[in-house]
Amino acid sequence: MKVLTDERRCVGADLAAWVALGGGEGLERALADPAGIIPAIEAAGLRGLGGAGFPTHRKWAAVAAQPGPGKWVICNGNEDEPGTFKDRFLLSRTPHQVIEGALVAALAVGAATVALYVNPREEAAVRVLREAVAQWEAHPLLAQLSEAIGENLRLLVVTGSGLYVGGEETAAVASVMGGFPFPTLKPPYPAERGVNGAPTLVNNVETLAHAGQILRGGPEWYRGLGLGGAPGTKLFSLSGDVLRPGLHELPMGTSLRSLVFEHGEGMLGGKAFKAVFTGGPSNTLLTADDLDAPLDFDSLRARGSRLGTGAMIVVGEGTSILRKTAEYVGFFAANSCGQCPPCKIGTHQVSRILERIEAGAGRPGDLQALENLAELLPGSGRCGLVDGAATVLASSLKTFGGEYERALRRR
Amino acid sequence: MNGGIPYAEALAAWRAKIPAPAQPLALSAAELLERFHPDRQPGAMVPLCVGASAGLPCRVELAALLQSDSLIEDVDIAGASMLNADVLVIGGGGAGCVAALTAARTGARVILATKLRLGDSNTVMAEGGIQAAVGPEDSLQRHFEDTLRAGHFTADKALVAALVSDGPGVIRWLIQEGMGFDLAEGSGRMGGTLLRKKPGGATAARLLSYRDFTGLEMMRALREAVLLQPGITVLDRHPALELLTDDRGRCAGAALHDLAQGRTVLACAGATVLATGGAGRLHIAGFPTSNHYGATADGLVLAYRLGAALREVDSFQYHPTGIAWPPHMEGQLVSEAARASGAALVNGLGERFVDELNTRDIVAAAILREIAEGRGILRDGRAGVFLDTPGLEQTKPGILGKSLVTLTHLARRGGFDAADEPFLIRPTLHYQNGGVAIDHDGWSGVPGLLCAGEVTGGLHGRNRMMGNALLELVAFGRRAGSAAAADARAERPRNIGLAHLADWRRALIAQGLPLTRKAPLVFPPYGNFDMATERGRAA
Amino acid sequence: MTESGTEAGLKVSLVFDGHPILAEAGASLLQAWGAAGLPLTENIGCMGQGVCGACRVLVRRQGERLAGTALACETQVEEGMQISFIDHFPAHRSHTYDLRTLTDSWTALEQIDTVFPEAKNCRHCDGCDRACPKGIEVQRMVNLAAAGQAFDAAALFDHCVMCNLCVAACPEHIDPAHLGQFVRRMSASLTLRPADLITRLREIDQGGQPVDFDAPGANPPVRP
Repeated sequence: MKVLTDERRCVGADLAAWVALGGGEGLERALADPAGIIPAIEAAGLRGLGGAGFPTHRKWAAVAAQPGPGKWVICNGNEDEPGTFKDRFLLSRTPHQVIEGALVAALAVGAATVALYVNPREEAAVRVLREAVAQWEAHPLLAQLSEAIGENLRLLVVTGSGLYVGGEETAAVASVMGGFPFPTLKPPYPAERGVNGAPTLVNNVETLAHAGQILRGGPEWYRGLGLGGAPGTKLFSLSGDVLRPGLHELPMGTSLRSLVFEHGEGMLGGKAFKAVFTGGPSNTLLTADDLDAPLDFDSLRARGSRLGTGAMIVVGEGTSILRKTAEYVGFFAANSCGQCPPCKIGTHQVSRILERIEAGAGRPGDLQALENLAELLPGSGRCGLVDGAATVLASSLKTFGGEYERALRRR
Repeated sequence: MNGGIPYAEALAAWRAKIPAPAQPLALSAAELLERFHPDRQPGAMVPLCVGASAGLPCRVELAALLQSDSLIEDVDIAGASMLNADVLVIGGGGAGCVAALTAARTGARVILATKLRLGDSNTVMAEGGIQAAVGPEDSLQRHFEDTLRAGHFTADKALVAALVSDGPGVIRWLIQEGMGFDLAEGSGRMGGTLLRKKPGGATAARLLSYRDFTGLEMMRALREAVLLQPGITVLDRHPALELLTDDRGRCAGAALHDLAQGRTVLACAGATVLATGGAGRLHIAGFPTSNHYGATADGLVLAYRLGAALREVDSFQYHPTGIAWPPHMEGQLVSEAARASGAALVNGLGERFVDELNTRDIVAAAILREIAEGRGILRDGRAGVFLDTPGLEQTKPGILGKSLVTLTHLARRGGFDAADEPFLIRPTLHYQNGGVAIDHDGWSGVPGLLCAGEVTGGLHGRNRMMGNALLELVAFGRRAGSAAAADARAERPRNIGLAHLADWRRALIAQGLPLTRKAPLVFPPYGNFDMATERGRAA
Repeated sequence: MTESGTEAGLKVSLVFDGHPILAEAGASLLQAWGAAGLPLTENIGCMGQGVCGACRVLVRRQGERLAGTALACETQVEEGMQISFIDHFPAHRSHTYDLRTLTDSWTALEQIDTVFPEAKNCRHCDGCDRACPKGIEVQRMVNLAAAGQAFDAAALFDHCVMCNLCVAACPEHIDPAHLGQFVRRMSASLTLRPADLITRLREIDQGGQPVDFDAPGANPPVRP
């Protein structure tokens, strides 16, 4: 069942149309019982869908426990990683769903400022969102919300740098404050010290959209949407060597096989399935052994991988893991912010070695050097960028080392 | 070695006498050199028995390389990829960069091939300075005479005259390339005067410098200039294995080994400039060396095999002040700037034993004598004498921090403070005084082959003055680069190959020499990379 | 510590580019690599003087989270170190200029901006400062150069050894090492005009500095 991406709810910036479809109900219920919001989120089992999978209610409770006033909510729509394209859909097609969720969050944590933090390269999303926000400003629910929070609620559209690193939560805070999106060491977490030093809740666009729906439909309804104990639905950004790539909203816990072979309509040209880079793409690769794995946070973690953003980049026979890995590490190298030389230089070094192997100019010690870097680099950054790059490298070496060796033999 | 004086005891003796009074040598210079200079030891030299300089005495370790077979054969160059240029420069140090720049600026297409990375060389390590007679009391003639005298009147006068006459122009050229020089205290950048120091063996203050890393300052500017110069293709990690000849015996480029790809590349050129530097990494007579990793005499081997004559290959310079302790820094240089600024040499009895500003061969021999006669200082099994930097700091407070920066850092890396504790030093293999015989334009005598920098002989005679090496590499880099460019465009090589090797092998066999020994060495043995084995694998 | 701790040949174990190595205490990283029998054909130059910048490494010490950059010839082995050689990162070669045509010092600031337009984009991440094995204030140099303060910028790069780690570290592709050289070279070539040198060059041009091969000082002293 589609909750977030139901075509009928994709009404764009038209608030009246959204309300006519039952929009605003979630917020109304929240206003009726503000103290019940966090327990409802907890009961629904909602987790951070930007990649980390951190239990949402704990983040909310942490910010709620901090003294106000001046707290912030950042709705994180920076989305820039290869293969992920879910937030831009929600923001441009069904912005009110996202805004409503963000307002619920603001009420739950007692924040009067909500920043809708968007990637400026998603011009359609920015335009629609601005229009949508303007319509909310005249809506009576907003006045009620201000009254409940005890401060005048401000709803801002903030365009960030568009840089990948700006999606990291501390970098998002820096960006909203008008600075360069440099990640900072945690702790302190944004929940303690965020925008202008005030407690700040940073949640992904999809997470907040789900929150609004949970308040509307109730936690039990929400939990029941998932499979095998996993709660709710998840947006999967499916790409790569499948017949029907695109955004698929499926029950959390749907199997990889079902995603690829039913919803994705199988492998492109009938090629054999080889692997999946999960979004990302900074995690351990999924292989044919994982086809029956339920796609949810805990199941993939148990297999040593991660669900990440829900991006699933499918690789078939005929596509080179080496070249894909080089592409993704190259992306991380280019997007490393520069603060931590081991991250910037280390990812560059990995990228150079991969590129020369790929170009048929690899050298005898290159595999060992790569393995060494995959061990040396993790933990060497303020944020997790370098860890992600090292993980995808280590995984691709471990599982598809033969492809590297073949390329080296071509020398 | 007759034992020595334990470090703690020597330290106490030094402290008790600081500052020790100067003391002249008891021996004559000639006798000192005869008895204690490493070049004069029995068995050190053998006459060359093949090649253009057969009969010439040569250091035994070097002779073995000179009289060896090539690493490659004709079949190895069949199918090798080929590059073409007007001028091929082999060597990416100072001389190579200057030659390449000069040639390219006349419009020649240049390939600069280097074994390591552009700039990795002895040039970058030079600390003391560069000689040029610019002082009002100084003259080209004095520079000329000082150089000849320091070299025991064995240098080629025409070359020395060219060298010293180019001096002031070289400094101007270097400034134009963006190299900085120290100015005299209180002097302005426009219309001021250059800071001048007196190098050992000189009659005037003639040593110009940039702090105590003159070579680094020079190499930075040169490297940048080469990288930015249109018309120069730089090939890093491409050591030369053999020179190529055309059907008339003219040098036509070189066979290079692409280390990254493990394959042979032929660089064909109308003229070739060898700028491969020295031979310190042969560790002649078992000495440690101040030289960079690539100094393995490759150029001498290649030029000699092609028919170039050599000279003074029995004469090496042992820099008096190499580090004797700590072991992990053994052989590294303590700049002559220390002695030029007034630091004394002190033996285990706390006494001075030589005029520290004498020529390098004399000072080195004097130190070796102290050690041999039991007045050296022993620390963890290493013997040396003290370089009294604390004494210098006492006489000239602040000098270590201000103008001897590298030396101060060096001590810190060794785990001590140069202002509190003297360096333990011992001579270190520093420079190859001789080399390929050249004329004033750098021509080797083999058509198409020029040489510049430390690989050449004749400029320094049997002992090089401090500051003449940096001057030489620019002066003769420019001369060779310009001569090569002019000649390259007149002559195009044809039928290129390794024709000279057959005659060479016949000569080796005639002298009963084995064909099993291969050269050039390319890397020292502790580099764990044997080019002959590597080539075997590639074949 | 290894159990041979009391012996003279104290050993430390480390991992270098994937090779487990048992090294002599006190050895430099470069010496440890060589002593382990591993081939040394690159990342090596001056072997300890610390002036050539060839032996760049990433080093993580035991118990430390962050790795750091260093020169292998200047860094001594420590128990539990993990080390990776870093390639030489050549600049993109886009910063081209011809010093010999740059003769008008009034345009110095403009020239810096024309050749190194990225310098003004410095995002102040401090990565270059952290990467520099010589402790140079790289970022300050970049900012001074972008502001046209050529001499001050040049002075900061006095100790640069051309390792290019700042080039690899800079996310804005400023190429600080090359910018540093540019301001240094420009400062020297535009403003260094020593009067004694100029005087001597004029004398030489006018034939006033002949070299006499037969002068008494140019020949060995005649022994009586």
